[in-house]
Amino acid sequence: MTNAAKSKILVVDDEITVCKSIRQALVCDAYDIDTALSGEEALKKEDEKKFDVIIADLMMPGLSGLDLLKSLKAKNSSAKVIMITGYPTMKTTVQSIQVGAFDYLPKPFLPSQLRSLVARALTHTD
Amino acid sequence: MLTRKLFHRFHDLPIRRKMILSFLAVISFGGIITLFIGMRIEHRTIFSLAQAKVRHDLASAWMVYNEKLISIRDIIHLSTAREFILDTLRTGNAADRAKKLEDIRREFDLDILTMTDVRGRVVLRARRPDVSGDDQSGDPLVRRALLKETAAATQIVSRAELLKEGPDLADRAYFTFIPTAMAAERSEDHEENGMMLKAASPVEDESGTLLGVLYGGVLFNRNYDLVDRVKDIVYKGEKYKDKDIGTATIFQSDLRISTNVLNDQGRRAVGTRVSREVNDAVLRNGRHWVDRAFVVNEWYITAYEPIKDIDGRIVGMLYVGMLEKPYVDLRNRVMGTFAVLAGLCTFFLLTLLAFIAANITRPLGVMVEATDKIAKGDLDHRVDIDRRDEIGQLAGSFNRMTEDLKRANEGLTQWGRVLEKRVEERARELQTMQAALIQSEKLASLGKMAAGVAHEINNPLTSILIQTHLLLETCEPGNPSLENLTLIADETSRCAEIVKGLLEFARMTPAQPTKADVNDIVERSIQLLEKQASVRNIKIVKALDLSLPSIDLDKNKMQQVFSNLIINACDAMAGGGTLTITSRLGPDRRQIEILFADTGMGIPEENIHKLFDPFFTTKSAGTGLGLAVSYGIIQQRGGKIGVRSEVGQGSVFIVILPLDQQSEETSQEEV
Repeated sequence: MTNAAKSKILVVDDEITVCKSIRQALVCDAYDIDTALSGEEALKKEDEKKFDVIIADLMMPGLSGLDLLKSLKAKNSSAKVIMITGYPTMKTTVQSIQVGAFDYLPKPFLPSQLRSLVARALTHTD
Repeated sequence: MLTRKLFHRFHDLPIRRKMILSFLAVISFGGIITLFIGMRIEHRTIFSLAQAKVRHDLASAWMVYNEKLISIRDIIHLSTAREFILDTLRTGNAADRAKKLEDIRREFDLDILTMTDVRGRVVLRARRPDVSGDDQSGDPLVRRALLKETAAATQIVSRAELLKEGPDLADRAYFTFIPTAMAAERSEDHEENGMMLKAASPVEDESGTLLGVLYGGVLFNRNYDLVDRVKDIVYKGEKYKDKDIGTATIFQSDLRISTNVLNDQGRRAVGTRVSREVNDAVLRNGRHWVDRAFVVNEWYITAYEPIKDIDGRIVGMLYVGMLEKPYVDLRNRVMGTFAVLAGLCTFFLLTLLAFIAANITRPLGVMVEATDKIAKGDLDHRVDIDRRDEIGQLAGSFNRMTEDLKRANEGLTQWGRVLEKRVEERARELQTMQAALIQSEKLASLGKMAAGVAHEINNPLTSILIQTHLLLETCEPGNPSLENLTLIADETSRCAEIVKGLLEFARMTPAQPTKADVNDIVERSIQLLEKQASVRNIKIVKALDLSLPSIDLDKNKMQQVFSNLIINACDAMAGGGTLTITSRLGPDRRQIEILFADTGMGIPEENIHKLFDPFFTTKSAGTGLGLAVSYGIIQQRGGKIGVRSEVGQGSVFIVILPLDQQSEETSQEEV
């Protein structure tokens, strides 16, 4: 499998252990996984290479997950964004979906849940 | 001081006694005054009568006295016409004429009878013919007779003259003074002269030639004829208790020479003297004396008048006296009768008064008794006095007052009861409100904390959960770590559940009310849990009022509440039982009540108030958030949730939902 054939995934969370764990849960030959510890970093990385899926924490210092999503949409990014959050509320869920998030996953979750969601995102076509 | 004390004591007496005492005082005062005045009038009347009488008696005595004097004068005067007297004086031969003269003297009861010649020399003395020749012309009476005038008067006769007439006369006249207490001082201690009624008359022949003088008289000293005659004539010998009522006395100067006043030995009290007072008034000043006087040994009402001789000199006194005792006794009898009458009157008046006082004061006693009873709280007591006077009016007013008092009292009592009830209600409301406030306060602060904690914990949980599962995925079956890893994964999941519940509780998303039928929600909740229940041998009984109106509520949240209550009920009935779910309209038809009654173990008293606290649980696997969340939801809806429980009997949870929602809109959306 070539690098180009691999799906590019970006994990954005201000907690490095979370980033690492997610990365470990998803790691396989088919995925090219990158991490970012803030929304700003994520935007920068998005500028370098287009990601297929971005998994972003909703609440982060500085640029929040929702702001990141809005910026991506503003740049016409094609990346599917999965919002994860430790404090899921109806309001943020609805907002995320309205702004254009692919899905919404409350923390904590099982590796299997994440994998299937990512898989769904990758196979999904607009 | 004493008066004041007495006055105070008088003040403290019962009215009745006060009235009687007052009247007694008035009556006694009046009685005493009347008695006193009566006595005075009585006294004066009786004694002025007595005095008038004694004055009159004295006049009578004078009549007797003067009669005697006149009779002596007449005897003397008539005797001058006797032949033998004329002859004796004409011839101067007195021989054997003495016998005749003495006969005349004896016949007329004279003490002396004597003839003188024209020069006044004694020719013949009836008693003493042997004593003659002495000159009597110095005698005022003889002198007048020598001037051819018949004269009669009272006269003091000296002892020398008496001795000439006879020593027996001198002896009769002689008195040694008997000491008398109240008499005036006198230098002498005896009286030797005598006092006589004496008359002298000229003896004339046919041609009117004066031949001599005939004089004679009666000696008063120790001669009681006159005084006894006075007594007999004036007082007719009346006696009072063996005593002569009337007495008469002739005084020579102040000396009793003839009297029928008796001394203590019962003898005539001659030789005693008159009191100084009378002496002064009568003998010295020549006045009359009429008054009561202590004579010898008794009180008399007396009258004294001076006796004068022919020249107007006071030589003695004539006295009459009436025993005072009969008058005093009469007065005392009258006074006694008067006093008895007064006493009877007083007694009668007092009896009448006591009766009147009792009659007046009896209703007062009734009033006092009534006040006492009312003061002790018997407001139903009424004064039973049927009168139209002031006391009757008072009783009426009193009864009205008591009636008012009773009404007021009843009103007050009722009002007090109402107030008490209101206070109780209010206190209960406050208590409930306070409990609710504490509960919501507790929930609110907990919500804030839970939100923060949940967020923070979820990140590490995410890592742990992912890592554990990754490890499990790589673990070969039979690996001894497999079991431990599974345990970690499960417990982490449980942590995640707790945090989720906490968040659920903290989040309180705003309700999204729609019109819904409570019964539907109940049915749906039962449907979800029915199978689980029947496995645990629990029977669910529905008693739903299908006519309940639809109300606005958040179906999902309400279902969460109902499910929670059903699960709790099932958990409480470990060995099976019956869960009865009732829906009905509340008593005031303004709310819907849903009851979940189990037959489980019940809730101990000490746990009841902690039931709705977050994290309170008795289940080994419970989060302790179910009821807290339910509480929050119901409160958000504006309803109430409560519990009744008895250990061993079961518990009843009641959810009360008002028909018209008046939620406080506790929009704790995002915290």
